[in-house]
Amino acid sequence: MNRSLTGATVQIDLKSPTLNDDEIDYLRSTLREDYDLIVRGVELGDDSVSPPIAAAPTTHTISQMTDAPTTRDGEPSRIVPCTIRSGQIEEFPQGSLIIYGDVNSGGEVRAGGDIVVLGTLRGNACAGTNGRLSAVIIAMDLAPLQLQIGNCVNRSTTNEKPPGYPEIARIGPEDVIVIEKFVKF
Amino acid sequence: MGKVIVVTSGKGGVGKTTSTANLGTALALLGKSVVLVDADVGLRNLDIVMGLESRVVYTSMDVIEKQCELNKALVRDRRVDGLMLLAASQKNNKDDMQPEQMKAICDKLRTTYDFTLVDSPAGIERGFRNASAGADEAIVVTTPDVSAIRDADRIIGLLQNVEIEPINLVINRFSPQLVGNGSMMDQADVLDILNIDLIGVVPEDSGVITSTNRGIPLVYEDGSPGAQAYMRIARRLTGQRIPIPDLEQKGLFSNILNWFTKNR
Repeated sequence: MNRSLTGATVQIDLKSPTLNDDEIDYLRSTLREDYDLIVRGVELGDDSVSPPIAAAPTTHTISQMTDAPTTRDGEPSRIVPCTIRSGQIEEFPQGSLIIYGDVNSGGEVRAGGDIVVLGTLRGNACAGTNGRLSAVIIAMDLAPLQLQIGNCVNRSTTNEKPPGYPEIARIGPEDVIVIEKFVKF
Repeated sequence: MGKVIVVTSGKGGVGKTTSTANLGTALALLGKSVVLVDADVGLRNLDIVMGLESRVVYTSMDVIEKQCELNKALVRDRRVDGLMLLAASQKNNKDDMQPEQMKAICDKLRTTYDFTLVDSPAGIERGFRNASAGADEAIVVTTPDVSAIRDADRIIGLLQNVEIEPINLVINRFSPQLVGNGSMMDQADVLDILNIDLIGVVPEDSGVITSTNRGIPLVYEDGSPGAQAYMRIARRLTGQRIPIPDLEQKGLFSNILNWFTKNR
């Protein structure tokens, strides 16, 4: 579990009510005792929450972390004012990358910190290349071939169109990349 | 001073040579002076598509090796005035030519002809670099499928690196039926990915095969949808503003749906 999330307030969204009350209570107490997370609420059977791609082996996603990780402070970032096309690689090991455009299929962005794509991410993105597992990947439309955060790799398993709202990819529980609707940092 | 336009695609078989032949012929039919340059050294085809294969005596390689003057190497088209072809050597390969040499040829042609269309070979290596070396503008030809689009995307990146501008897109072999039943990407999807200006959409037309085999570019057949599309693109190249017609056939259901959303 990511240390920077310690003490955060979380909301548990269950895609389908596959957990009974006892199980939810267990989850709540485990999160508090083992991870110091305060559960604010539990939502049952909410289909509007998109499931993580490459399905995380859990039936829930933990979303809306309210405490921003502080490791971003003071880190340099680079703005790329154009689309990254097939065959092009944009690398910035020193910090975060912000792309004013798309990352097309066959293109690649790699950053030591976070990656923010103000367009459609269709290619490959690798955040936290220096091993920073709290790094995130955000895109207006997230439809990547592969995502990598630290040494954790996910590949797209569906050909579905992105949902039409911004999404964020981060390392979730059990060290798999989960994708959630992006609300705010 | 004329324009040098490279016609390229990245992927092979999407219709670069067909597009070059038809656009060149169409521009000549519109009264422009045009020279077509085959840059596919070693695998030349443009002479066949133009029906000029028996008339090729000298090639661009002979010009570079100073075996003949540039004007002497140009083959005059029989059917329309003001249309010339500079063939590629079939016995050399692409590494026998330097980008600077191609640029020198283009620079000379630019002073005489309104349009110099350079037919690029597939790929992103020397052949492509030779073809684009002397170009002011580019036409990227793609078909609406993911592999052609990824290659077109790569080519667009390379053209932007050498600051060739504008880069116009031709979507070739577009099938309204396949788009209608959802099995082909539509124009908007292609433009969303490639993000360059669309100069025309050429519908799938079986007449292309017969016209290639006969060596008569499709644009001579007025009625064919492919010919009309190429004529429209040629007019746009001359600066005329002609809207791109909506080739997409909407099904009855989506028409009804459109009607409801418009009148809501």
